[in-house]
Amino acid sequence: MPDVTSTRRNSALWLGLLLFLLAIASNAFYFAHLSTHITPWLNLTLPVLALLVLLVGVVRAFRQPQIYRGKIWGTTLTVLSLLICVGSVLFFMVARSVPRSAGAPQIGQRVPDFTLPDSTGQSVSLSQLFAASPGVAPPKAVLLVFYRGYW
Amino acid sequence: MVAISVDPPAVSENLRKKQGYAFTFLSDSSAEVIRRYDLLHKAAGPESSDISRPAEFLVDRSGTVRWENFTEDIRVRPRAEQLLAAARSIA
Repeated sequence: MPDVTSTRRNSALWLGLLLFLLAIASNAFYFAHLSTHITPWLNLTLPVLALLVLLVGVVRAFRQPQIYRGKIWGTTLTVLSLLICVGSVLFFMVARSVPRSAGAPQIGQRVPDFTLPDSTGQSVSLSQLFAASPGVAPPKAVLLVFYRGYW
Repeated sequence: MVAISVDPPAVSENLRKKQGYAFTFLSDSSAEVIRRYDLLHKAAGPESSDISRPAEFLVDRSGTVRWENFTEDIRVRPRAEQLLAAARSIA
């Protein structure tokens, strides 16, 4: 008897991978400051949804192997999706591994003075930053922005 | 406004010119000031180098902190409007 069951593409695996990629893309919203309300929500929902869809695809492939026969694609997509998933979890943990800085100056406390070279190599101290430059009133405050560097 | 990182002056000068920033960049290559402010993020830079965690302090003329911001996620940084609002509140 000839085999009448036609094979079908396991679209759940493709959709799962697509959702994982969208989940990664959703990180861009953090940097773009588009919406601080929606971003964490998207960032968590997309990978959860992706995992569920991926699970559907894997279960389908095991239950009806005669229909979803594509062995190479199925395995490749699943492994790729899982790698992306693990990578994203690691990135998420790294992004949130900022030290607590309990000993940093608090509101109402005095900050330690310092002298550091500016980008032209000139030494600049905190007190110098409050000094008046010719024709300009001295600043009422200075905003110190510490950043990670390596831009 | 002053930006402080472990980047050497030449790197900061490059960034300043490329982006057209008018504010001052300070280089704390040895992370000595960053350490004194308890902002050191150990081994978080390339090749496990020590760098600064992101943090912002608004300091008045007496050297007192009037506003500050510490992120718990390096993807989340204060917006320009937040910084301006903080600056206006003490002006």
